[in-house]
Amino acid sequence: MSLVLQHVSKTYNPRSAHPVRAVRDLDLDVPDGDIIALLGSSGCGKTSTLRMVAGFEDVSEGTITLAGKRIDRLAPARRGVAMAFEGYALYPPLNVEENIGFGLAREGGLRRGTDTRKRVHEVADLLEIGPILDRRPAGLSGGQQQRASLARALARDADLHLLDEPMGQLEPQLRAVLRGRVKALIKARGLTAVLVTHDQTEANAMADRIAVMEGGVLQQYGPPGELRDRPVNLFVATFLGEPPMNALPATVQPGGLRLEDGEGVHLDVPPSALPPVGSKVVFGVRPHRITLGQGRLHATVTSNQWLGDQAHVAMELGDRLIVAVAHQRVAAAVGSRLDFDFREADAHVFDAESGRALLHGNQPA
Amino acid sequence: MERSDTIWRVLRGLALTLVIIFFLFPIFWILLMSFETNEQVLAIPPKLFIHPTLMNYVALLSGKLQTAAGALDITFMRNLWNSVLLSVCSVALSLVLGVPAAYAFARFRFRGGEDIAFTLLSFRFAPPLLVLLPLSLYFQDIGLANTYIGLIWVYQLICLPLILWIVRGYFEDASPDVEYAYRVDGHSWWRAFTRIAIPLAGPGIAAAALLSFIFAWNNFVFALVLASADKQPVTVGALAFVTASGIQYGQIAAAIVLSILPTLALALYAQRWLVEGLSLGAVKG
Amino acid sequence: MSLTIRNLHVAFRRNLVLDDVSLDVAPGETLVLFGPSGVGKTVLLRAIAGVEPAARGQVLIDGRDVSALGPDRRDLGMAFQNFALYPHLAARENIASPLRARGVASAEIEARVGRVAELLRISHVLDHPPRALSNGQKQRTALARALVGQPRVLLLDDPLRNVDAKLRYEMRLELPRLLRAAEAATIYVTQDYREAMALGDRIAVLHRAAIAQCDIPEAVYDAPVSVNVARLFGDPPLNLLPCRPVAEAGGLRVEAAGLRLLLPAAREAAGRDCLLGLRPETITVSRAAGGGAGTVRPAGAGGAGVPVEIVAATPLHERMVLLLRAAGGVELLASVLGEPPQGVPVVLQADEQRALLFDAESGARIPHVARTLEVVA
Repeated sequence: MSLVLQHVSKTYNPRSAHPVRAVRDLDLDVPDGDIIALLGSSGCGKTSTLRMVAGFEDVSEGTITLAGKRIDRLAPARRGVAMAFEGYALYPPLNVEENIGFGLAREGGLRRGTDTRKRVHEVADLLEIGPILDRRPAGLSGGQQQRASLARALARDADLHLLDEPMGQLEPQLRAVLRGRVKALIKARGLTAVLVTHDQTEANAMADRIAVMEGGVLQQYGPPGELRDRPVNLFVATFLGEPPMNALPATVQPGGLRLEDGEGVHLDVPPSALPPVGSKVVFGVRPHRITLGQGRLHATVTSNQWLGDQAHVAMELGDRLIVAVAHQRVAAAVGSRLDFDFREADAHVFDAESGRALLHGNQPA
Repeated sequence: MERSDTIWRVLRGLALTLVIIFFLFPIFWILLMSFETNEQVLAIPPKLFIHPTLMNYVALLSGKLQTAAGALDITFMRNLWNSVLLSVCSVALSLVLGVPAAYAFARFRFRGGEDIAFTLLSFRFAPPLLVLLPLSLYFQDIGLANTYIGLIWVYQLICLPLILWIVRGYFEDASPDVEYAYRVDGHSWWRAFTRIAIPLAGPGIAAAALLSFIFAWNNFVFALVLASADKQPVTVGALAFVTASGIQYGQIAAAIVLSILPTLALALYAQRWLVEGLSLGAVKG
Repeated sequence: MSLTIRNLHVAFRRNLVLDDVSLDVAPGETLVLFGPSGVGKTVLLRAIAGVEPAARGQVLIDGRDVSALGPDRRDLGMAFQNFALYPHLAARENIASPLRARGVASAEIEARVGRVAELLRISHVLDHPPRALSNGQKQRTALARALVGQPRVLLLDDPLRNVDAKLRYEMRLELPRLLRAAEAATIYVTQDYREAMALGDRIAVLHRAAIAQCDIPEAVYDAPVSVNVARLFGDPPLNLLPCRPVAEAGGLRVEAAGLRLLLPAAREAAGRDCLLGLRPETITVSRAAGGGAGTVRPAGAGGAGVPVEIVAATPLHERMVLLLRAAGGVELLASVLGEPPQGVPVVLQADEQRALLFDAESGARIPHVARTLEVVA
């Protein structure tokens, strides 16, 4: 079901000398059947937001609506929300099967046509915990407990599924497979889910839309491709991407930009889209969008790392490093000069002071 | 179930008030009594509005108690001094012995370590009266009866287990990595203990010291049996007000107020310090 | 200024955490100690530092046996995963600690702390206590403390684990230069295989309390000694398919998940139970009808296309990770460049030259015959 947050704020210790404003004036609209990710580093406000939706924290200001009904004053149990906890929160006296079935039993069984046992086994097999269904949580590894907790949330037919760092404890091998399977399950059952994570790989892999938060403020909310190609500010631009976007200080000059070390970068853009000549800006280009071996620019290679399926090449441009990613090995020794280039469509320009995006490629932001 | 914030707030306030009255009323009543004469204390029905008098305090501080049967000498100020001396010295000795021991129990696994730690804690389980009789006999034999040193020694039964177990918890909570880092930097283990471990466990050590000070201060039974009048603390000294001509409630109340003051002052001072120490933070990165 | 570890054993209660570990690190070399969590990487580092007692074995620094010495007398620099800064001291005093221990004169301490702080770009926060530092600054302070004494051996315990992606990549580029300049024998612990490949001159893979393989990054990735080592490298991870190869002219014929591959592998594996290892980036997915709109087949891709169903497509750093289901319900991961074909039947193909074959029982890799190693620039 669709979830709508309007002007939601959370302030801890509002009357003290140092109130903590964990979430500020958050507007978020999650359409029915979408998976969205709240992404940010620790302390960005994503967990406070999740806890307000779940009902573990009061909302300081604003409203939360789920399936057209205001829920921000309801007790957690009455909100129609299922949650997978980062700390698992399994019931110790119950075995895994009973843990997974617990939420279903509390709901008064499943909706017509499905039986509880079948649903539990279905989800357990999907998450590869079928063989441990009769074990108690105390004897399980962190990864197994985490999958049991995730299974408990996914087995339910809730209006909204909240997943708080649901795969952080899993081995990378399993994580890669389960991301795909869980996404397919959520889509097949038409569930609506909010995923909270600090791992951009997970957010990119699973979410239809990503909400990037920082300092309690929503920075940008959109599909992964939009965040990658049209970041609204320098924070989003350099927060996302592995390796992150190259950001180099530059000055506007007639018909283009000049990088601070003197390299001229010509940008064929409508003059109205750039600030006046002489303005300080930040020029950005993603490492994956740099082509190596030929081009208008050249720099000295400072490192050339082959990672099995991709090469990361760092080059010294003035006193800044610029990083490029290639999908084959790059024949360039450390210390040698390397030519490189990028398409103008892949260039980004940000205001140096506010960090606001001015240009993406040759289109105004 | 729509819940109303206003009703909750009122209910919460009401409950808090009840709890506060329950705990603070006896103290308030004692404070009131300390400013009344014995006659006023014993008046029925008791009066809330009184003409305060300072005579109880004057009597305590001057050491002269005027009763119906004549003037009595009282040693309250001496008792107060004894309390301070015994408590401070006991806690100090416990810290010197207990903090290194707590560190050892927290950081090193050695044969019988858990058993020794538990035995020390079990001193707190034994009823004091059980050990008092043999203890007083031995003390008389070896000449420790009625000495400060003897009392301080016995007070270790109260202070040492407390300090050991509280401080051990604090050492265990602090990551040993910080000490390892200091060792790798090239410092000896003794410097790592004194420059890193102790400052980081500071709040815990202060809390344990404060608690054991209060326990030592309030001890009654050990001092009653093992010390005579000139070495007795205030808890025992207050017995002097149960005189032949009646119980001097006013003076007892004033004595209680005066003997609470040092612990209260210490607690308030340490509280500020404790909060400061706890916000040191960043131990776990 | 080399570090040598000889036959080190470490046990907790009766469990052997490290079983007969031997390593050599040359001066100026960075050896990455890599393995999954809980495998004993940190224990090994601590045993070298002397804060964890070793049951048996020797640690030699510059040929001198330091096994019996305390951590304060081994001349090491160490950075901890949780930073382990002294919370009651300012960043400056944190960094100065190794110099104070040696009784270096105050003026020189000032100068050396200033130099290393400038190198790590934390000069402006030297007077702040650790709690006022950001995670990145804490991590740089911890590194500065490890480097300031110019130790002969540097031990870095997953120093980039607790910082965000942006800082991690910055440091990944900066660290090699810093470590080269330090000229110490460095052991760097990580559980991120990309970090291991990026930073290591060599990688020592720790598995089940012992070193499974110790080699240059390319060799560990392309020629892992066992299936256990192979599984630790790659994101998305290696696909493993049970198979029983048959000897044929030109190599081994392997059939799995509908694929028929001719591998240039040694023939003695014929008839044995094996595991076929396919790296996701060596699998290509294209339109079934042979139309040109699919992704390009890499050179050496062999075998006829196998019809598969795309269960899920998840983006991963400019690539798409496809969860594929072949006949019989076998699931495979493929990592492709560009958008996968949608709404049409697709087939997968695998690169025979880069396929790995393991003995199912022992897990050992069955080597290629005359394997043509690609030239490394």
